[in-house]
Amino acid sequence: MGCAESSPSSKNLPIPGPEQKKTNMTSPSVVCEGLAKSYVRKLRQPGLVGAVRGLFRSEQQVVPAVRELAFTIERGERVGLIGENGAGKSTTLKMLTGILMPTSGRLEVLGLDPWRQRQKLAARIGVVFGQRPQLLWDIPVRETFTLLKTMYRVDSKLFEATYAEAVKRLELEPLLGVAVRKLSLGQRMRCDLAASLLHAPEIAFLDEPTIGLDVAVKEQVREFVVEMQRRFGTTLLLTTHDLKDITATCDRLLLLDRGQLLFDGTLADFEKRFATERRILLDLDKAVTDGVAAELASALEPLGGVLVECRGHRVVVSYQRDGAAPALTQCLLSRLPVSDIVLEKADIDSMVANIYRRSTAQQEREAS
Amino acid sequence: MPDLLATWSGELRAQAALFVRAVRTSFAYKPALVLGMLTAGLGYVVPLLVWRHVYATRASPLAVPASQLFPYLLMAASLNFVSNMSVESRVGQRIRLGLVAIDLLRPVDFQLTQLAQALSDVLLNVAMVLPFVGLSYALWGRAALPHDAAACLGFCASAFLALLIQFAIAFIFVQTAFITFSSYGVFYAKTALQQTFSGISAPLALFPPALRAVAERLPFCQTIHTPVSIYLGAISGHSLVPVLLVQAAWAVGLLLTGRVLLGFSLRYLEIQGG
Repeated sequence: MGCAESSPSSKNLPIPGPEQKKTNMTSPSVVCEGLAKSYVRKLRQPGLVGAVRGLFRSEQQVVPAVRELAFTIERGERVGLIGENGAGKSTTLKMLTGILMPTSGRLEVLGLDPWRQRQKLAARIGVVFGQRPQLLWDIPVRETFTLLKTMYRVDSKLFEATYAEAVKRLELEPLLGVAVRKLSLGQRMRCDLAASLLHAPEIAFLDEPTIGLDVAVKEQVREFVVEMQRRFGTTLLLTTHDLKDITATCDRLLLLDRGQLLFDGTLADFEKRFATERRILLDLDKAVTDGVAAELASALEPLGGVLVECRGHRVVVSYQRDGAAPALTQCLLSRLPVSDIVLEKADIDSMVANIYRRSTAQQEREAS
Repeated sequence: MPDLLATWSGELRAQAALFVRAVRTSFAYKPALVLGMLTAGLGYVVPLLVWRHVYATRASPLAVPASQLFPYLLMAASLNFVSNMSVESRVGQRIRLGLVAIDLLRPVDFQLTQLAQALSDVLLNVAMVLPFVGLSYALWGRAALPHDAAACLGFCASAFLALLIQFAIAFIFVQTAFITFSSYGVFYAKTALQQTFSGISAPLALFPPALRAVAERLPFCQTIHTPVSIYLGAISGHSLVPVLLVQAAWAVGLLLTGRVLLGFSLRYLEIQGG
């Protein structure tokens, strides 16, 4: 199989470009209404006696993993699905790809019922499970790629284009002749990502595609995903715990908590709604004393500031996004020997952590 | 109709490509090949020694003369070894670890993919068994060869159908792993039934009548006893076609049963751990 090394322009590709796709396919990529999935978990008693007893009688518990999910994803959208461990991200993705049968609700992906039309859908989607490699373990990477070409019945011209792009962007050339079992995690993940996008799928489901990767490889993976999405107009649904993946590749966010949707909107909306806290960080020439800290706290309070940290040469003040910064800064500069000052807004990690903390507290209140 | 043909030719091309890759994978591990050959050797030697002892120490003749029994045992052991496709362990393991998710996301038929993989194992097994078939020819001469040309052709067809039946049975048994997440018990159950009723330990003519009647009504005897009987000329001429048709019916019936069960089992699928 002679795979072209050049990267032909997308104009030459025998597939519709993103612009054409918009006109040809106006129906949404994903429609999900009242989607739910519960697992039955067997409760095992401890010890040898428990094991023997379990042979005759076992208690079962129904665990809801996803509850009443409802959202729509339009063609070409780039959506990040985030949530804590056990929030239901992977279960949702597995239902969307047709592996798991929903307990209830309506689900449509590319106009198909994923569970009933799994094989048909599989030809049109690309999936990466970060924790489950899809490459064939014992044979060289190149052979997996050519096998996938046959399996997905990819047109040679399209394959040459996607293959060349993947090899170039993910720097796969030195890995192509190597057996998959001999690759490092980062190398394998790059190959896995390429493998899932070689057939230019209409939707790419990426489940933690950067898990366990170093910073440089993560960056490479994100760039590749964005480029492939831009080039082929692929709809993207990505789950991750690294929120930099989201900011680098997505423009819409779905936030899951205990199987329920907490937020659905653009990243800008998310920031507007949740990034209300700002911080002023000060480095001082001289260390502050406890007396100064108490006095400072009471001076900042009427201006809307909260003294978060005041120790040694470091002072941190938080405030709500309401225009309090000038007065607070003036107050701090007049009272402290400031050597450096930084104004900081909360990053997406701390916003999400705050949301989970609030949600957990609320659940605990409701439970009690 | 042209669409259907295109779909099936695409499916077959994909399965053929999978088959070739699976063969390459199987042959990639040379120590496994050598160990497999040694195991095959053991599988031949032990039953032959036991039966030799039985014939040597028994005063009255048995229903099957020694001149027919030894080639039978040889071919039965060969066929049994060749048809060892590890379907239960391979598919069971993938279900348990959740790797079956990757298989289900391929745009190809899951059952056919497992069949292609299983047939690639057969190719490896044939390579391991061939030296022993050669050796048996050296020991028993003409008696170790097919009875005649028709027997040779009939055996090829029957052995292929036997492989399909073996695969289909294993595929049905392994479905329980979708619910239990373990294939060990299933593997032992299937192996026990296969060992008991296939005719690998002795021709069905040597079975007690009641056990023989049960064995003849189960599909297991179609995997060893039938093809070996064709090979040795015990089934020939006009009786060959109906026997092959029965085998084909078992193969189709069991493959379809496996397909229906798969649709049912997938409802219970859980991919654990993210």
